[in-house]
Amino acid sequence: MPTIIALDTSLSMLRPVPGRNDHTYQSLALKGIQHLLDNLTASGKLEHVALVLYTTVCELKVDFTRDYDQIRQAIKKIEPLDKACLLTMLKTSVNLMATWGTQNLLQLVVFTDCGPGFGSTSIAGFLDAYAGKDAEPEYAWLKALATYNLNFICLGVHSDLYFTRGVALHQQLLDAAGLKGQLFMTKPVKNMETGDASTGCSHKSELGRTALFELIERMCECSYKLTEVTLKCGHYFRLEGPVLLWPPPMPYEQSAPYGGDPTIRHIDQRIDVCGFLALSDIGSPATLSRHWVLPKVEREKPTRRSGGLASVAKPPKLTLDVSNPHYELEKLEQDIRDFYMKDTKEAEESGDDADVSVVLKHSQPQTEQQKDNLCVLLHGALKQENMAALVLLGEKWYGFMYSYTDLKKRSNFMLNILPPGSHVIPWLGDLELLGFPSDLAPGETASFPVRAERRSYSQSSVVWIRQASLQSDVQKVLRHAKKMPDKTQHFYKELNRIRRAALALGFVELLEALALLLEKETTQLTLNGVSTECTLQLQHAATELRKTSNRDIKSTIVPLQKATAADTTTAPAPAQGGYLY
Amino acid sequence: MFERNQKTIFVLDHTRYFSISSEQYISMDYLKGKPVAESPGSGSSIVGTQLSKSLWTCAVESSIEYCRIVWDLFPGKKHVRFIVSDTAAHIVNTWSPSTQNMSHVSNAMMMVSVPSRSIPQSSDYSVIHGLRAAIEALAEPTDEQLQAAHAGCKRIGNKGRVICITSARDNTSMKSLEDIFNTVLIQQNALVAPPSKKGLQIDHCHLVILNIVPLGVESLVTNRSLLEISPFLNAEIHTVNAPEISDKLLHLIMGHYDLASTTVTNIPMKEEQNANSSANYDVEILHERAAHTKVCGPDFTFTTSIKPGTAYETVTLKWCTPRGCGSADLQPCVGQYNVTPVDVTSRPSSCLINFLLNGRSVLLEVPRKSGTKTTSHMLSARGGEIFVHSLSIARSAMDEAPSITDGPGGRVPDYRIPEMGQLLKMSRLVPLKTRPKGKCSQGEHLWRRMPRYFPRTANATILFNLQRQLSWLPHFLHLLVKEDMDKQDEVRCQQQIHELYKSASRGDLLPFSNSNNARLKVNKTKDQYRLFYRELEQLIQLNAHTPHHKNLLESLQSLRAAYGDASNKSDPSAAHLRSYTESPLSPERLEPTNSVNSSSSSILKASKRRMSGCGQRSLLDIISSAERSQSSKRLDFSGRLCTPLGQTAKLYPEFGNKDKEILTPGVIPSSLKDESIRS
Repeated sequence: MPTIIALDTSLSMLRPVPGRNDHTYQSLALKGIQHLLDNLTASGKLEHVALVLYTTVCELKVDFTRDYDQIRQAIKKIEPLDKACLLTMLKTSVNLMATWGTQNLLQLVVFTDCGPGFGSTSIAGFLDAYAGKDAEPEYAWLKALATYNLNFICLGVHSDLYFTRGVALHQQLLDAAGLKGQLFMTKPVKNMETGDASTGCSHKSELGRTALFELIERMCECSYKLTEVTLKCGHYFRLEGPVLLWPPPMPYEQSAPYGGDPTIRHIDQRIDVCGFLALSDIGSPATLSRHWVLPKVEREKPTRRSGGLASVAKPPKLTLDVSNPHYELEKLEQDIRDFYMKDTKEAEESGDDADVSVVLKHSQPQTEQQKDNLCVLLHGALKQENMAALVLLGEKWYGFMYSYTDLKKRSNFMLNILPPGSHVIPWLGDLELLGFPSDLAPGETASFPVRAERRSYSQSSVVWIRQASLQSDVQKVLRHAKKMPDKTQHFYKELNRIRRAALALGFVELLEALALLLEKETTQLTLNGVSTECTLQLQHAATELRKTSNRDIKSTIVPLQKATAADTTTAPAPAQGGYLY
Repeated sequence: MFERNQKTIFVLDHTRYFSISSEQYISMDYLKGKPVAESPGSGSSIVGTQLSKSLWTCAVESSIEYCRIVWDLFPGKKHVRFIVSDTAAHIVNTWSPSTQNMSHVSNAMMMVSVPSRSIPQSSDYSVIHGLRAAIEALAEPTDEQLQAAHAGCKRIGNKGRVICITSARDNTSMKSLEDIFNTVLIQQNALVAPPSKKGLQIDHCHLVILNIVPLGVESLVTNRSLLEISPFLNAEIHTVNAPEISDKLLHLIMGHYDLASTTVTNIPMKEEQNANSSANYDVEILHERAAHTKVCGPDFTFTTSIKPGTAYETVTLKWCTPRGCGSADLQPCVGQYNVTPVDVTSRPSSCLINFLLNGRSVLLEVPRKSGTKTTSHMLSARGGEIFVHSLSIARSAMDEAPSITDGPGGRVPDYRIPEMGQLLKMSRLVPLKTRPKGKCSQGEHLWRRMPRYFPRTANATILFNLQRQLSWLPHFLHLLVKEDMDKQDEVRCQQQIHELYKSASRGDLLPFSNSNNARLKVNKTKDQYRLFYRELEQLIQLNAHTPHHKNLLESLQSLRAAYGDASNKSDPSAAHLRSYTESPLSPERLEPTNSVNSSSSSILKASKRRMSGCGQRSLLDIISSAERSQSSKRLDFSGRLCTPLGQTAKLYPEFGNKDKEILTPGVIPSSLKDESIRS
């Protein structure tokens, strides 16, 4: 989810926050950006983030990067400039985002005091100009913007009319242009006591550091949450576990089969592995989206975080929970581990003098990071076997997981989400009909790919739209004609192919022309004294071509029997009458 | 769902006029070899070696070409019908899939043949019959529409297109043709109305009239672009020379099915005559337009051109010599579409097709504005069908992936990857003809094949690690997990368990490959066997399908007890098992082959009593911790002994706890089975 952080650096941002002498809107915004970056770091530094500063002009400070320190450095030196112009920034963002194409969900986080702008560059001015002109090319960029997710962190207090008016205008803009966006702002002053209690400041304001951080966390919860699902691969409890998908799968809008309203579909909370396929059998089918599959572990929370990014924290699993249904098995595994560990430990001890540090090292409890997990195991096996796991994501909705190695030889566990439906990969057939070899009837074999009916290009189609193709077909017959009796079978095969095509097209002129050509060929061959077999066959073929009785779907011209019997000892079997497909 | 192009009907005029020549002559003269060899006598036959297609042939071949493209690109999805009209309408094929293919149509056309020149001009012969039949055909439901009706769909969309190839005298007769069509359409829809309920209501029809004339003949009919005749009918008229009708239809089909053309350039091909050098060829293919539009990026544009003689644009993409890239390579593909060559019989086309059908794939390049090139598409064939894959060429948020080995658990060394790999190979999917029996859901199906007991790492199992060292073990494990264990298997397993017990009581060391056996102390030997028993017990418990399994479990449990490592007697599942096996209905129970060796366990019992405050801890833990404390010559605080290392000991762990229960592993349906647990 590539993200642009846009910071309003207009002069109005330098106003002190009412009721707080220690903060201007800008200094608060910078703290907010820091906190956002902290949150993104905590969830794995996966997002590409760019920093944009905007006033009447819009400047790209830091291009998309996963190195958030660049942004932290950049916001240290911010110089405020004139007035804010939101629309310039939005338009610039569309250009900046263009490299990401349409496969990624693009996000914008705007830190602003919601200034309405001035004159023609103001939001109100834009809304006036835009009204009724949404189809004009001048506003085409708004179409692209409409696919983004816009988050406004609105800095201001509700008692400030300048702020509330600005907020209303921002909302109007979102509505008018059909943008997906959300304005995050503090609650009005009535709820102040809950929002800002921790600062202990006597001149409480609804907007402060804590309140802002809450906004950011709310925003992260909405827009940056990784999707958590349970991956299940068979019965054993160790082959089942929580995984995170990044970027989060987008909901799929499925049109109703026979008209009506489309339904919005999400992938299931539990994804089941159905079986395994060779990657070479899967090929490169069209996919809706690709995702990293990451093992879910408890992370250390960033400081001052109230609503977690990762979902509900579980108690650390260092002690085995007796109420756990798999207590016996977990205990057994741990005992076996201890057994092996003691083994090596004792070996070391008896070898050298017992070293306390060694003992300590072994007795260190495993942290979550060091624990084995299903993702790595499955990834390893899939990589080793060059296979993919077919997973069921919902009703008649599939995906496949595999090991993906990038150019730098780093490999990763990936999930490709296919479009919903069971017929989405033609060469695998109906995915609901996949089974294991043991399901086959005795003696039955099955393998990929599932073959389609023959297409025109894989059967010897006859198309004579271009003259050249007709001529080359006729030439081919004549070539065979010269080489009879060796090529007698080929000659008649080609002859019948042309004859049938000519009949289908009602091209009877061709039959006559072909008969003439064959006769000419005969006279020529006779002059050159070529074998009588050849001339006899040609004469026979020419006569047969002319017979109207042969203009029937079922008829086939067969080689002249007498000639064959007389001249060749190994008479080729005459072609059977009837259908010849 | 039911777009206008799902139903197309060709109405072919089969009146006498169509028997005349298209006046485009094809020379066959050069075919008979060098003119020098020609005898003077045969020179007069020059008339016979020039021939011309009739208007009928032109109409048939171009309409068949139209449906060749449709059926190649939309197999089973878009339907084309033919109706031949002379004194009456002749139905060539129906909406049924069995007649929606080239061989059916061309066979049927063989029987129609060219209209006879000898028939008298008469008003009985008309294209009107065909147009009437076409409207009736539009009202007939396709299989998909029947399915929709079956699924309870109230309002089934029904649009279609009629392409009529005819020849009219002038604009007035063309107008009357349209009017008649419109009237019949309205009549047909009236028939659908509630009282008679005949067929489907036709929502809209697109009538394309191709007025064809021989080459060099001026027509009095003027071209007219799309015009709305009525809310149900749009019509357009094109006058074309017979030889150009194929080009016209090719142009029309692009719009009818929203197709686009790609010309693959720079395909190196070897010449037959000159096998050493290769020349570059171009092949033009057709596919859905989306194959182009799905690929989008800011910094490139497709180069388009218009080939001479055509009226549509084609996108030029450059052949990229495959560098060991088989079809296996997984490309980030955003769309795949069937393709078909424009000229299916040309040599370059068939060269490319055969290259693809033989399993190679070809990447196609598009130039970027910066001057570099990107592969935007891939051509590959699978299952005898050729597809163009639109590749994702925009920057991906998934670039620069952190490696999985750097993530959580990535550095754990002893995952059982080889064993997992074996399982994957055993659970490889194959396409079946019918739905497998007893399959509830896809995931459910796999469960039968994946083992019920599969530790993820090698350091969490003893059983599987010993498989290589103990030759009898793999077979034993295989027997244990058999879903249909019989008496004989049980006896074998019992023997094996007995053997194991004997070697345990002898104090034989288990042959671990990774540990230094010589240094193992006596108590380690006991640990080995205790863990071995425990793991075995879990394995059987998870796989308990038959009474035989339950018998085995019982003997193992008594053996564990004998070895001084009894499983928790309060375990409700064990009690349940016992009552089950001892019920009169259960098969005869085997006596455990060994007797309880009470002397060896007496000390342990004593220690067990002493440590009874430790709750759920097994005897093993108690013993091992006792050992540890012995060796350090100082008794540790018992609370700490009860607590896993590195944790703070909890005082009064039992305080306030209710009766703890070990949850029974869920009742396992015996219909489920594991193929094998072995690796």
